Amino acid sequence: MFRAYLEFAKKSFMNNLVYRLDFFVGIINTLIMIFVNIAIWKAIYEEEQVLGGVQFRVLITYIILAFLMQCIYTMEEYIIESKVRTGFISSDLIKPIDFRLYLFSYNLGTLGFRMIFQLLPMLVMAVFLFKLLPPFSISMTFYFFISAALGFLVLYNLNFLAWISSFWFYWTFSLVTIKDAAIMILSGALLPLWFMPQWMVDFIKYTPFDSIYYTPISIYLGQMPANEITMNLLRQVLWVVILFGIGHVLWRTATRRLVVQGG
Amino acid sequence: MEKHNILELIQLFFKYAKIGVKTTLEYKFDRIFITIAIFCREMISITIMYLILLRFVRIKGWELNEMLFLYSFLFLSYSLFVFLFTGIRDFEDMVYWGQFDRILLRPVGLMFQIVASRVDFPATLGHGIVGIILFINTAFSVGIDWNLQNTAYFISALIGGAIIQASIFMVSSCFSFWAIKTMNLRNMIFFNARRFAGYPISFYPSFIQKLLVYIIPFAFVNYFPAQYFLRKPDLAGFWNGYLYLTPLVGAALFTLVYLFWKKGLKHYVSTGNSMY
Repeated sequence: MFRAYLEFAKKSFMNNLVYRLDFFVGIINTLIMIFVNIAIWKAIYEEEQVLGGVQFRVLITYIILAFLMQCIYTMEEYIIESKVRTGFISSDLIKPIDFRLYLFSYNLGTLGFRMIFQLLPMLVMAVFLFKLLPPFSISMTFYFFISAALGFLVLYNLNFLAWISSFWFYWTFSLVTIKDAAIMILSGALLPLWFMPQWMVDFIKYTPFDSIYYTPISIYLGQMPANEITMNLLRQVLWVVILFGIGHVLWRTATRRLVVQGG
Repeated sequence: MEKHNILELIQLFFKYAKIGVKTTLEYKFDRIFITIAIFCREMISITIMYLILLRFVRIKGWELNEMLFLYSFLFLSYSLFVFLFTGIRDFEDMVYWGQFDRILLRPVGLMFQIVASRVDFPATLGHGIVGIILFINTAFSVGIDWNLQNTAYFISALIGGAIIQASIFMVSSCFSFWAIKTMNLRNMIFFNARRFAGYPISFYPSFIQKLLVYIIPFAFVNYFPAQYFLRKPDLAGFWNGYLYLTPLVGAALFTLVYLFWKKGLKHYVSTGNSMY
């Protein structure tokens, strides 16, 4: 049974190979974003030397990791929408496969592709061009990988909620874009939480957003006290479960009331 | 091609505009939602800038209001650009779907039809609202005397900035005549240059500054116009004359690109995709 899903993942991996320009553009965009942000932080640091006890290189490493993760966590946002609009969703639903598992394995294939063809070259460049710091310690490296994987699952399940809205709305561009904006601002993808005002951090702690980027990166940097790591990992797991639960309920409701316009 | 007088063209322009508004209103809810989404997307960089300056007060002598004022030029001129030149932005699609064939058959100027026939209202409003919010919040607190001369400069800078951006998009549209797809490349170049221009260009290494002044002249869209009003000390690194060149750079660039476009037009071969 799982062979089928492995094949889906492989297929999506191969699919990505075809659009070579896209992955090249992805690399350039990420490198430029890193470059712009480093230039801005350099300008800030010139003015104030040391800021809030956080060393410049730690901050730069944070920025680099955040953009590298964003690059490989980019997902194809309109698969469900186009399947609902064209009506192909109905034939997908009667196939003897679980559609959500199919979608997930498809995204895993893309993730695998991005890790090999985008992350590896960028990582090499980041080390040489921007002097990326290594992980804080060996145990933190281990926790970082677990936390980053959980971050991916949080993001995936959150994204799924926006994708599935295509059963109710004809176009999902708006909802997907607003969701992305919320993630960009609240997840620490562009600005570490330690620079945000306290009320904002207090608010974010009640949301799943910081589980996506902030938690894994602060573990990598050793910014998170060792005794808080287990709790934060559990918090990530909890968000995966909650978001998956909501998605599950919505999926059930959606497929039951599915109206197809013909294919 | 027969000549039309200006009055007829203006009339025609308003007819196009009316149809455009009607099409947009056909999907009211959807278009409003898209506008809100674009607004949110564009507010990302503004929010991050706001949060950074809330914490650090100033960067290289630039304060929050001044930075946001600098940013407002990007949004206002982009909004104006999309309002006027959506057709240029979407030209590659127009060629691909054969809509350009229809335009060729009609007895009115090509550029007129391309400019008049399409307006992306959600993008115009989404960017425009961000721009207006930034402008209202900053224009009266950064020490600008809004007399006639300054107002005239401001307006000409916005128009110049819109035309500069239109020219950059039009360079890419020229390649459609040779059936070369450049949209991805164009977006990458345009939006990354715009990303740089969000902050004062003096923050960047000198090769980036040169790039934004001489090659993809985004510096004339926001940095120099904002500096005309603000006169921050980092202006010392540039020639003072740049402050006044925005409309000229726009006009020169547009003329140059337009000539190239005309040349490309001779090579146009329909894709045969026309559905109409």
